[in-house]
Amino acid sequence: MSNVSGKAYALTTLIPIRNDHIGEVAYADIVRSRLENWNMLPNSPMAKVPETYLCRFYLIDDVYIESQPSGTGPDNWADFLPVTPNALRHAVLPKHDRLQSRYLVFSSELHGDRDTYLRGMWLAISEELKDVFGFCYGFDEVHNADDFVAYMKKCQLNVALFFNGSNDDPLEEQLKALYVKQEFSRFVVENQGLPTAELRKKFLTFIGRVAPTNVQFPSWTAGQYSLPKVQDKQQEAAL
Amino acid sequence: MSNIAGKAYAMNVITPIRWYTAWMNKVIFWVALKFPSTLNGLLTLSLIHYARWVIIGRNQFPHIHPDQPKENLNYSYMLFFSNFNGSWDQYVDSFTFAIPTGLDMFWKWNIRYSRSVPLTPFHKYIQYNQIETTHYYNAYPLAASNDVKSAKKLRTALIAFDNATREVSDDEFQKQYNALLRGLQHDFGDMRPTPIVSMSAAQVEKRHRRDLRKAQQEKVPAIQEVDDE
Amino acid sequence: MTKSLDLFDIQGDVVRAYGRFGFPFARYVFFNIREGNEGREFIAAVTEKVTTSATWGTGPGMVPRPTVTTNIAFTYQGLKSLELPRASLIGFPEEFVSGMKPRKDILGDDGPSSPEYWDKIWRESREKNRHLDVHILVTINAQSPDLIEERFDWLMETADRFPNAIALLKGHRGDNGAEDLPYQDVHALIDPEIKQFCAKEHFGYTDGIGDPYFEGLADAPERIAGRGTQMADGTWAPLATGEFLLGHIDEAQEYPPAPKPYLLSRNGTYMVYRKLHENVNSFDQFLERESKDYPGGKELLAAKFVGRWRDNGAPLAHAPDAKSKAEWDKKFNALPADSPEQDQMLSDFTYDNDMSGAKCPFSSHIRRINPRASLQMKDGQQPGSYEYNPHAFDTPGALANRRRILRRGLPYGDSTDRSTDRGNHGIIIMMLNADIARQFEFVQQQWINYGNDFRAGNDKEILLGNHSKEYPSKAVIQVDPNSDEVPYFVRNIPRLVETRGGDYFFIPSLTALRLIAKGLIDPT
Repeated sequence: MSNVSGKAYALTTLIPIRNDHIGEVAYADIVRSRLENWNMLPNSPMAKVPETYLCRFYLIDDVYIESQPSGTGPDNWADFLPVTPNALRHAVLPKHDRLQSRYLVFSSELHGDRDTYLRGMWLAISEELKDVFGFCYGFDEVHNADDFVAYMKKCQLNVALFFNGSNDDPLEEQLKALYVKQEFSRFVVENQGLPTAELRKKFLTFIGRVAPTNVQFPSWTAGQYSLPKVQDKQQEAAL
Repeated sequence: MSNIAGKAYAMNVITPIRWYTAWMNKVIFWVALKFPSTLNGLLTLSLIHYARWVIIGRNQFPHIHPDQPKENLNYSYMLFFSNFNGSWDQYVDSFTFAIPTGLDMFWKWNIRYSRSVPLTPFHKYIQYNQIETTHYYNAYPLAASNDVKSAKKLRTALIAFDNATREVSDDEFQKQYNALLRGLQHDFGDMRPTPIVSMSAAQVEKRHRRDLRKAQQEKVPAIQEVDDE
Repeated sequence: MTKSLDLFDIQGDVVRAYGRFGFPFARYVFFNIREGNEGREFIAAVTEKVTTSATWGTGPGMVPRPTVTTNIAFTYQGLKSLELPRASLIGFPEEFVSGMKPRKDILGDDGPSSPEYWDKIWRESREKNRHLDVHILVTINAQSPDLIEERFDWLMETADRFPNAIALLKGHRGDNGAEDLPYQDVHALIDPEIKQFCAKEHFGYTDGIGDPYFEGLADAPERIAGRGTQMADGTWAPLATGEFLLGHIDEAQEYPPAPKPYLLSRNGTYMVYRKLHENVNSFDQFLERESKDYPGGKELLAAKFVGRWRDNGAPLAHAPDAKSKAEWDKKFNALPADSPEQDQMLSDFTYDNDMSGAKCPFSSHIRRINPRASLQMKDGQQPGSYEYNPHAFDTPGALANRRRILRRGLPYGDSTDRSTDRGNHGIIIMMLNADIARQFEFVQQQWINYGNDFRAGNDKEILLGNHSKEYPSKAVIQVDPNSDEVPYFVRNIPRLVETRGGDYFFIPSLTALRLIAKGLIDPT
């Protein structure tokens, strides 16, 4: 099934939003506004959802048609006629589609099994989800993790091609590896040229501090977007 | 609204396909999966964390509640999602210069697709069909896709090195340490906050950080909702 | 496909780096326009002396070699002051309209490079007083200082005919703490050993070897090796003209976006003018400090910073160590001086046999600003190695072809006293391209101040990167993955180059100049 690439999973959901309003604000605009507010928080609520590599929310208000003058199949048939009848010319122009509802799109790249992920998502941020998804059809009947999983399955679309340009490790391992890369890069630079015995000692201390096999700690946190300053690191190393 | 989270950019594109040619796209995707060398160019570019293509049949928009009206569409739709590193321009340009045939292969059956060369019509095609991301989350904003891949490699090598050298002589330790560094010589790049992606994005980022400091104290209200639920 | 350009229409500085053609002196003069009508008359007068790209010689279609050259360029505000119609002005790209100063976050002009430390003329341009905005750049290149003065006198006399419309802008820094000079003088450096002009800059490197070769350029055909674009079969092809000149097809098979009308932009181009101060003392100390532990010694490490040996520019791709350099030198010195064969040795190389960076490091100057086909890499068998991945991309140079830049300009100042960074010395670099954002700004931001495309994370280019103390910079000097060597880390790289000013200019064609001078630009 092409939702997976190894242990990485590509979850695509389109959740229809109710066509209703509060005052003069449409439900869909409220959804958008509440999601915009997530951008103002110290970090995304999704940082609390385990095994999330990357994810996004956006709204499909309607489908677009981009009318370009380049030729496609039916157009080319018209090329063979010395005169293009108006009816044919109109017929080959793209038709104008309209959606009946507006959709919230939630797309996530994650590690592991979909149901476990969705359950974890509910357990971590059910309040934030109700705050946003509450305006979507049928979400008022979602009361627990199982309901949420079932609901999202109904909204899920299958992926035709999932391109994995990275790896499929558990998120904890990815974060730990990034932390180790950062620390070891610093180590090799700081300890260049040392005599072997001393280097070796320093290396053992380094391994003790950084603990590469301990996936939990120390490590980067999910969603971490700033680094401790160099001086802090030096103080930390001195401890 | 933000298409950017640290070093990653979220691109969302939606384009119509004739329902009777949608199957051809599916075949092409299937071929790409079965014969990964077709994606050689994409992998070499190394700019992408994860990307996906989704085809929604014109009758396949999720219908989950009796109150929800059914969709009535002429076309099926292709959704494209990408998480990539760099700016929009760099990404689209890289695709056009490096793998124009690949691009055409995936998009050719979309309505009025402009072909990937020359560049400006292709830029416009993507821009007109791109939807802004409202909220984008990246678990490692400080890391590009290259960093994530090289981190895995480095950690594996480091653990193996540590295990192999606990009991050896100093000379052997040094020899293997040198080999470790040599093997990782392309994996030591620093990771820091990203370069600015564009002036507008930089301005939004500055305002955002200012607002974050304010929002710490007060909860930012949503659009004035008349009745609170 | 051969193509010939209308050389009489293109300004001379576009196709020629005058320094290379025996014009070791230059003066850059800046003006502000106060009134449109007389401003245009001034332009008309100057245009009569503007040097074109016509071939020099005595054959048909050639002109005699001048002893002094003159060229002219405008900022956006300059074009506006000349009263170009708004419909034309809005066709200019966003970055040209804003100018270079507000783009400092993109360019990395922070810390000591930020505008508050720039020369006065640049600090005060585009601020509160419109009379201090830089509008016009006139460049004068000559074979001797006397000739410069002569042409400069003529220029000032011409400007003096329009005292209410044209004002000379002062505010350039110079020797001995001068802050308010009326122009920027530059000149090729003199090699202390041979007491002649040379192509060096203040860190001691031989400069100006690389320069893109594009279709229609009336340059010696053998110069294309290394300067054009690398083809899959190992030959070199000229780059599309449209990468460097508006109104011609570019590498993306289309005309680059340009302002209307056609005659305003055709055969014109954009120029990025940047004054870069060089911290010679920091450089010397940095090289001294880092080369102490470097096996291979000081000059090899200096070569690793740039990708060429300092003394004669031998490329590391062909001379990666002292031994091969000695052989290279022997061959080089046996050839006639400045001959095409010598030039081939300097320029004709690829990184195909150096995909791991063991010869020319990934963070070295020339590899970062022109990676040739080296971005088409895949993991090699041996850990720490990359291999060339043919056919991954449409053409080998696919990712580099649209990032090439023509370089003009000369060093300024004197660096005999290397005991301090505070001296007056550096280079004025003028970079010409058809799209400032896609070419110059991209290279500056993504390849010089950042390294992801080179698998180097945030590691910056050693020489030009905006290194800071806040996040100390390092660079990796790679080694042969099949050897026993250990990669060398260059640490705590100081900021070696500081921006002292500059802006974005438009170099119009001769046709456009004449139309602008007559006030006839009309895109209706």
